[in-house]
Amino acid sequence: MSAVTAAALEGVSKSFGRTVALDGVDLSVACGEIHALLGPNGAGKTTALSTLVGLRRPDAGRARLFGCDPRRSASRLRLGCTPQETSLPQTLTVRETLDLVRAHYPQPRATQELLETFDLVPHARRQVGGLSGGQRRRLSVALAFAGAPSLLVLDEPTAGLDVASRRVLWAAIRRHAAAGGAVLLSTHQLEEAEALAGRVTVIAAGRVRAEGTVDAVRARAGLARIRIAATGVPEVPGVVRRELLNGATMLYVRDAGEVVRELVRHDASLEGLEVTPATLEEAFVALTEDAP
Amino acid sequence: MRLALIHAVAQLRQLARYPMFLVPTLALPVGFYALFGLPQSRSDPTVLMASFAAYAILGVAFFQFGVGIAIEREEPWEAYLRTLPASAAVRFAGRLGSALVFAAASVAPVLILAAATRPISLSAVGWLRLAFVLGAGAVPLGLLGIALGYWVPAKGALPVANLLYLGFAYAGGLWTGPRGLPHALATIGPYLPTRQWGDVLWSAARGGGVGGRHWLALFGFSVAFAVAAAAGYRRDEGRRFR
Repeated sequence: MSAVTAAALEGVSKSFGRTVALDGVDLSVACGEIHALLGPNGAGKTTALSTLVGLRRPDAGRARLFGCDPRRSASRLRLGCTPQETSLPQTLTVRETLDLVRAHYPQPRATQELLETFDLVPHARRQVGGLSGGQRRRLSVALAFAGAPSLLVLDEPTAGLDVASRRVLWAAIRRHAAAGGAVLLSTHQLEEAEALAGRVTVIAAGRVRAEGTVDAVRARAGLARIRIAATGVPEVPGVVRRELLNGATMLYVRDAGEVVRELVRHDASLEGLEVTPATLEEAFVALTEDAP
Repeated sequence: MRLALIHAVAQLRQLARYPMFLVPTLALPVGFYALFGLPQSRSDPTVLMASFAAYAILGVAFFQFGVGIAIEREEPWEAYLRTLPASAAVRFAGRLGSALVFAAASVAPVLILAAATRPISLSAVGWLRLAFVLGAGAVPLGLLGIALGYWVPAKGALPVANLLYLGFAYAGGLWTGPRGLPHALATIGPYLPTRQWGDVLWSAARGGGVGGRHWLALFGFSVAFAVAAAAGYRRDEGRRFR
């Protein structure tokens, strides 16, 4: 890696009771980079991020923020996170909430600047409990920027944001990276990763399935789905995963043309043949079974 | 230190804006004193005042510490605060600061009402001594409240706190004095931190000296509750976000 590593997980495993949430996860985010942690719900994204910011102790491996243990408070001086929107203290005003968080950092952003960037100026004196859902989301996001951090860690930052607010947030994230800051964000939408991130780590069932540029990962996760309204479809090469559903056969494949040619060569039934791009969710499931 | 103060102020602001919290916390101790303390005309008025002041502090220890911690530690906002560059000690000191303000605010009306309506025989030094003993007894009970907060889940915290609060106050003799208790309760009394605290308090209220035995007992209770609180806090770190 060329640039300074802002955040890293090194072989991190974490279990809750008998559930394995993370299994040997490696992740690294460089300064100046927007990195997306992509995976379906329940993949371990939130556990990975909360280990990185020091909320959890890994069972094995280690987490690093700028080379230091995130569980030490001094290591978090250059870190900015978002709280869950539902959890903001109801009776503090917007300005008081921002100032409470700003007070933790040596050189925070000006409160007025935060209010302007996140379109909260008219609401500065209102209590958080009286804000609309979108306004609370914007305040949550503003808190991540309050300390002028070098590293932003954002868990599903655009969930619940309207289109205008999302655009504001995306712009702020891009400015942050352009100024040399690092961003790690989790998302289950490939579109969001494509719009923002330079690099992507795909995680499913607690393990890293793919890591690289957005294009490389899209090529890897971009599967086609062949549906044939028959059972007893012969085994052919090039199939990542097959399943039976209501008397139909589903084949998840990388190259649909090649697989169909193979099926024809095997004289297989092609009754009700459909070829569609697999959804990301389906691709993740297929990749999970096709673990590297 | 500055951060602890900021946390204390933020917490005071939050709590002070909930009338449902503020009014009972401040009005209940003085109300109890007016209803049950003032009519006891045959008891020493200074001793009664001290008992009901201790009862006010007990409420802050069990409800603001105990129930407050139990509820907050399950909230995502508390998890978010843990990602800020502040140590657990800072947030803890902030909580202590706001609890002290509330303790003082709920004790003050009791003292003022007593001084205004009853013949309280305390010199300036006597008042200071009483204040010191009130504060000293708040330490073991505050620690018990913290232990409660980290060991009991949010839904169970309120009933458990009520049980301990009323039970400890009554069995410790804070309402009636030790001689007003049934025999069985009076014999287990010395094993309760509230009774040990009461003995020190009543002695201070009468202007008498205080036996080392009671101080030793309060110290022992403090150590035991501190160990329980610390164990609960460590246990909580691993289980909080399951």
